[in-house]
Amino acid sequence: MDAEQLLAALADGKAHSGEDLARAFGVTRAAVWKHIPKLADWGLAVDAVPGVGYQLRRGIDLFDAGALRSALAPEVAARVAALDIFTEIESTNRYLLAAPPPSPGMLGACIAEYQTAGRGRRGRRWSTPLGAGLCLSVAWQFAAAPAELSALTLAVGVVVRRVLARVAGVEIALKWPNDLVWDERKLGGILLELTAEGQGGCHVVAGIGINVALPAELLPLLSDWPRGAVDLATACAPRGAPPRAAIAIGLIEELTELFASYAETGFHAYRDDWRAADYLRGRAVKLDEAAGHITGTALGIEADGALLIETAPGARRRIIAGDVSLRSA
Amino acid sequence: MDIRKVKKLIELLEESGISEIEISEGEESVRISRYPQPGTVNVAAAPMAFAPQVAAAAPVAPAAGTAPALPPASRGQQVTAPMVGTFYSGPAPGAKSFVEVGSEVKAGDTLCVIEAMKMMNQIESEFAGRVVSVLVENGNPVEFGQPLFVIEE
Repeated sequence: MDAEQLLAALADGKAHSGEDLARAFGVTRAAVWKHIPKLADWGLAVDAVPGVGYQLRRGIDLFDAGALRSALAPEVAARVAALDIFTEIESTNRYLLAAPPPSPGMLGACIAEYQTAGRGRRGRRWSTPLGAGLCLSVAWQFAAAPAELSALTLAVGVVVRRVLARVAGVEIALKWPNDLVWDERKLGGILLELTAEGQGGCHVVAGIGINVALPAELLPLLSDWPRGAVDLATACAPRGAPPRAAIAIGLIEELTELFASYAETGFHAYRDDWRAADYLRGRAVKLDEAAGHITGTALGIEADGALLIETAPGARRRIIAGDVSLRSA
Repeated sequence: MDIRKVKKLIELLEESGISEIEISEGEESVRISRYPQPGTVNVAAAPMAFAPQVAAAAPVAPAAGTAPALPPASRGQQVTAPMVGTFYSGPAPGAKSFVEVGSEVKAGDTLCVIEAMKMMNQIESEFAGRVVSVLVENGNPVEFGQPLFVIEE
């Protein structure tokens, strides 16, 4: 047996005696015991109840690749070249970037229950306990790099917003360029990575991280935002967060649609929705850049997704890259 | 002086780290330099030539951001920016640079990342060779087509 099998046995959140587990796996009780620290490494609280057995403090609805695939709309399932699920992986983005790109027109998808090096922005660490979030990356190959390629980050944000509205009944805001916001707190983020392929094509990987149901004490630690992070369970209270699988299915379906049509539609098809969700518009912001920082008021995005900041009355700056944060009044 | 000897000297210079060599044999002397002399035309595009563009298109851009050193007028191949964005020399803040002057690279090795709207574009080398110039500093903005590296095969 290994730690993954032990996890699967305990995922229901019920108590399992060491004896029963040992018998089920055909090992000694000591062999069961030695995998418990691994579960703790994954951020899971495992209670050892004397005379009863081992129990996860919170049950986990682990992803099942077969069930996910069969729940996809048939026309989408036909375009999903790969759907890989890992209990633990360094980074779903890194995995898909290192893999050969899917054939043009096909989507590669990867989900991890736990990322050891969840890559937030520029290598910032985002560590969420196993099963508490949704870490989904998808890969696509464009035969020719589409116009408005950079605005894909924003278009992916619009897709996540649509899916969460439909599946979770939650209306989120989007913070330029890649953060998912609910009630002034960070609900998740998006990170796109790409490499060039021959003949002007490119291999794009879009990673999405969403906090689904986290221990409350962890939320303030997961983000450097003034009010910290938030999870979907909080945003959906009192009814609770939808199953992660339902969100994943919605995202895979709508991201397939986005990538398949983006070369034709460009950012135009997503721009109005993005503007309707603009978290920074009209607010005092600060932009960090290599030469220092600038401050001003966010005026919203331009047609190509660039952020406009009014730095002084009548003076505007067009921002393509950098970290923007809210400036306290 | 025998032209073959001059050719040999040029090769010698290129293999070495030195920038200039002068040899005297009796009445004859020859001086070979790898770097453009003041007043000569520099065949490789100097990064400074792009500075006005950088300043115009991206107000964020300090023109001083580009490295002051001129690329050597050698057989080096330029790697240029495929998009507008911020140049990152390493995978994370504070992390070691992907490459430095003197690094040996293979085709497909990552040289840098250019970021625009949190889209991280990994720029890979199309050539195998040695990095002889890094023309942009970490964290600075780059324009489309701006030279980033010179790689000598």
